[in-house]
Amino acid sequence: MTVLSTRLQTPLLLIGITAVVLAVGTAGGPTLERVATLSLISVVFVVGLSTFSGNSGVMSFGHVAFMAVGAYTTAYLTIPVPLKGVLFANLPESLRWLAEVHTSASAAVLLSCAMAAVAGLVTAPVVARLSGLQSGIATLAFLLVVYNVLNSWTDVTRGSSSMIGLPRSTTIVTAFVAAALAIAVGWAYRTSRSGLQLQAGREDYWAAQAAGIAVGRHRAIAWVLSATICGLAGSLYASFLTTFNVNAFFLSATFAFVVMIVLGGYLSLSGAVLGAIGVSVLQELLRRLQDGGLTGGSALPPGTANLLLALVLLLTLVKAPYGVMGARELVLVRGGRRLRRGAQAVRTPAGS
Amino acid sequence: MSATQLATPPPSVLRMAEGGIHFDGVRAVDGVTLEVRSGEVLGLIGPNGSGKTSTLNLLSGMLRATSGSIHLDDHDLTRLSMRRRTRFGVVRTFQSGRVFGRLTIAENVEAAALGGGLRRREARQLTADILAELGLEDVAHQQADALTAGRIRITAIARALASRPRFLLLDEPAAGQNESEAIALITAIREFAQRRGCGVLLVEHDMSVVMGTCDRLHVLDSGRTVTEGEPALVRRDPKVIEIYFGKRHDHDAER
Ligand SMILES: Nc1ncnc2c1ncn2[C@@H]1O[C@H](COP(=O)(O)OP(=O)(O)OP(=O)(O)O)[C@@H](O)[C@H]1O
Ligand SMILES: [Mg+2]
Repeated sequence: MTVLSTRLQTPLLLIGITAVVLAVGTAGGPTLERVATLSLISVVFVVGLSTFSGNSGVMSFGHVAFMAVGAYTTAYLTIPVPLKGVLFANLPESLRWLAEVHTSASAAVLLSCAMAAVAGLVTAPVVARLSGLQSGIATLAFLLVVYNVLNSWTDVTRGSSSMIGLPRSTTIVTAFVAAALAIAVGWAYRTSRSGLQLQAGREDYWAAQAAGIAVGRHRAIAWVLSATICGLAGSLYASFLTTFNVNAFFLSATFAFVVMIVLGGYLSLSGAVLGAIGVSVLQELLRRLQDGGLTGGSALPPGTANLLLALVLLLTLVKAPYGVMGARELVLVRGGRRLRRGAQAVRTPAGS
Repeated sequence: MSATQLATPPPSVLRMAEGGIHFDGVRAVDGVTLEVRSGEVLGLIGPNGSGKTSTLNLLSGMLRATSGSIHLDDHDLTRLSMRRRTRFGVVRTFQSGRVFGRLTIAENVEAAALGGGLRRREARQLTADILAELGLEDVAHQQADALTAGRIRITAIARALASRPRFLLLDEPAAGQNESEAIALITAIREFAQRRGCGVLLVEHDMSVVMGTCDRLHVLDSGRTVTEGEPALVRRDPKVIEIYFGKRHDHDAER
């Protein structure tokens, strides 16, 4: 195998696995297609989260907020103007234009990513300065702030009432393309100059400082990039479901995504992708088990599915603290990157 | 020797003047003045807890001095962070290695080269050169925390070299190795430092290892300077003999 293909085999394998999800979803009935599409959207989100957490080693509980930014932006830009007149009758004067704007589906996706990136830029300085537990709490605080704004600013966000009437522009194919793109971008960052330096900072903050690495700056770069990818996931989610509620972007979603990334292995991109797909499948099986569809028997008490999911998480954490993949990546052929050897490399037999 | 010196940058001096730090009452370093010049190896020796690592922490910026100053030629480094000092060319290693455990050896070195501001291509080139020079090519793609303690120490030195140091501050690079291995390693460090015109501050607690390998020795005890000078003279100093009483420095004389 050539050097190039050895280096690219991980992202290609991962894209291949998402293609299998696409194939299964397309071949099956509408229920299966829906499950497959949502799991591909989860792949986009978890790859986004992993772009920050995997490289920096800092877990974030706030990324669902970026998803919300993406979803709301898409809603504002794509809900038909006449319907918006009804939904947002009480917009404050300064935001009247929101009821008038309308863009194509693809422009809405791009602008959703851009808005999430802006939210990432605004919060990046805090993330760059904090690490460990403080950082985890700060990201949770960020989620609470965004949730409360969305939930309380009723005139603009419809508060706890659902957003409705988005045109359905996300199909299983667009979800697959987005997942493949996210994997490619996530891999490119991971192997970039910034990504490598951030991983060094993850391994040992002070040793990285001693190597001249500006760990905080690279953390901020990864944060903004991951916010952008999670904004994409939010946009797809909104335009796939065509209706959503603010509660979709709070603690239970955060928990579900954290289970995905932790089960798969938050340090590796393969772990993120496999975790997102694996847990999506598991969730669907547990849901069917809960309402008796799987066993043909009677329904189990509500909450059983989540309980079992939490149990799986606990068991995995005991058995494999860094998830199924640990820090490893999926490869077919083991082989290192070949080093470019310098023409004037000096060899010194010690003591000659 | 003169040929290599032609190629090196003008000599410079890293100097700590009356440097001091205390940790709630303990004066770990107490008014120490020392100088490292480019191209030379200064051995910093002393018994356990005498303040060697703390002195290195002051020079590297890991700790801020509570008194005194640190200069690289005319540049005042006293208030600069460790990262900024590394970018200035004052680069340290750690007593415990502290490699980037889940990165490969090559990535460890490349990350430091990138941290020093190199472009990707240059960083890879420098990494390849350093790995070849230190004999780490065969383990280049192994994960760092899977290596032996000896290899981890060499990797830490390789990483420091990737920061293109003008001054290398090495904290017991030969710890855990036997005497002849330690001497071979330090001799190799000395050779590449001279080739690059780089100054070395070498922390070591074993007197016999530094005798033949350092240009000058600086002896610490309880955070204070005991003496400084040529190894042969330092070893005959009665105060040094007292501190190292019972150590086996005598039978190394014929080396
Ligand atoms: N962070 C710290 N907090 C409190 N005391 C410290 C700290 N670092 C060092 N000390 C104390 O300062 C003194 C000097 O320690 P230092 O590590 O510099 O010695 P050393 O010469 O490097 O010893 P060794 O040979 O064991 O490495 C010791 O008494 C140590 O306990
Ligand atoms: Mg020490």
